[in-house]
Amino acid sequence: MQTETAWSDTEMEALQLAAQLILENGGETFRAEETVRRMGEGFGLNEVESFAVPSGLFISYRTEEGKLETSVRRVHKQGTNLTIVDQTNHISRAVAAGKLGASEAYIRLREVARLQQKRLGWSAVLAAGICAGGFAFLFQGTWLEALTALAVAAATQGACLLMGKVHESWILSDILGGFMTALLPVLAGRWIPGLNTEAVIAGALMPLVPGVAMTNAVQDTFRGDMVSGVSHGVSALLTAFMIAGGALLASAVLRILAGGGI
Amino acid sequence: MIEQALLYLAGAFFGTLGFAVLTRVPRRTLLAAGGIAAVVYMVYWLLSLAGLSEHTAVFFGTTVGSVLGHLCARKMRVINTVFLMSAIVPVVPGLGLYRMMDSLGRGQMAQGGAQGVQAMIIIAMTALGLIVGSLSDRTIHKRGRRKA
Repeated sequence: MQTETAWSDTEMEALQLAAQLILENGGETFRAEETVRRMGEGFGLNEVESFAVPSGLFISYRTEEGKLETSVRRVHKQGTNLTIVDQTNHISRAVAAGKLGASEAYIRLREVARLQQKRLGWSAVLAAGICAGGFAFLFQGTWLEALTALAVAAATQGACLLMGKVHESWILSDILGGFMTALLPVLAGRWIPGLNTEAVIAGALMPLVPGVAMTNAVQDTFRGDMVSGVSHGVSALLTAFMIAGGALLASAVLRILAGGGI
Repeated sequence: MIEQALLYLAGAFFGTLGFAVLTRVPRRTLLAAGGIAAVVYMVYWLLSLAGLSEHTAVFFGTTVGSVLGHLCARKMRVINTVFLMSAIVPVVPGLGLYRMMDSLGRGQMAQGGAQGVQAMIIIAMTALGLIVGSLSDRTIHKRGRRKA
């Protein structure tokens, strides 16, 4: 009996962890629900149901003894890590194919969860620079604008990283990002003659774009999940507002520096 | 013209590559993600050159990107989010959004509002492109299965 209970707990733990990893790392809610259903059926459970929203999930199923098991888990978004979402997806497919049991799947998921602790660190600075430099060309920039955007985005990402070590808050990070990407190119324009500051700012803003939230909003809405679709859409909009707020703050600072009022 | 096309191709490829690293996509998908972005931007640019409106060009660019994204996701056995994200990033109206912020910051509300609406329409067209691409992919995939 004891073994049966432990076995049943492992199944629920595995289902919860899989859905939680997907939601915490930028996956869509339909994917979390599909994963629970697929894994639950792979474990041989009956009447597997799940309901996920970006901030939490409910799971229920009926055991072989006919007992209804239900769980609720609150989810706090950790950031975006599509590798974790992808690996969780692979594990769920292996379970569905009968290649993994509940205990093995749970152990594999715990290993995937450890990836969350690994941060991108300073390679994010380089990636942000390359991203901004590349996009500066699409905004009618030349090599001069691309290199300036690269430097501005790298400095912005570095500042956000340093701020994250003191106080981790995505709102502050977005405001700081918007502020620096609007301020630094204008200051650089005073030293570099002929610099197209508009192309630099637009390029440097690109690493801050909430691309995953936008994609998820479309994907969830397309699948008929309006609650999650709207939630992701509002999240993307809020990020855009924070960046715009930071940029407007930079405009005010520049006007003060130029001798004008706010 | 060719020089500009190559510059845009490289810009979209490397820009999206950097963005993909920031969202921590699986490493083996990086090149494909950048490639899809480059194709999306080329479709958008060529259609714009052919005289189509920006909105229409964005729509067709994203639709092509969405179909390619689904195809790559299936071939590489990866979640489609990786490639769909790459399909929309190069046509995000970054410049339009910046101009809107700039106008609003200067107190030019009417101009800022118009630029904001313009940017929102482009975002809506990217969403529509993603959806139409997904629908096309589903139809093609279902037919392929039936034939097999």
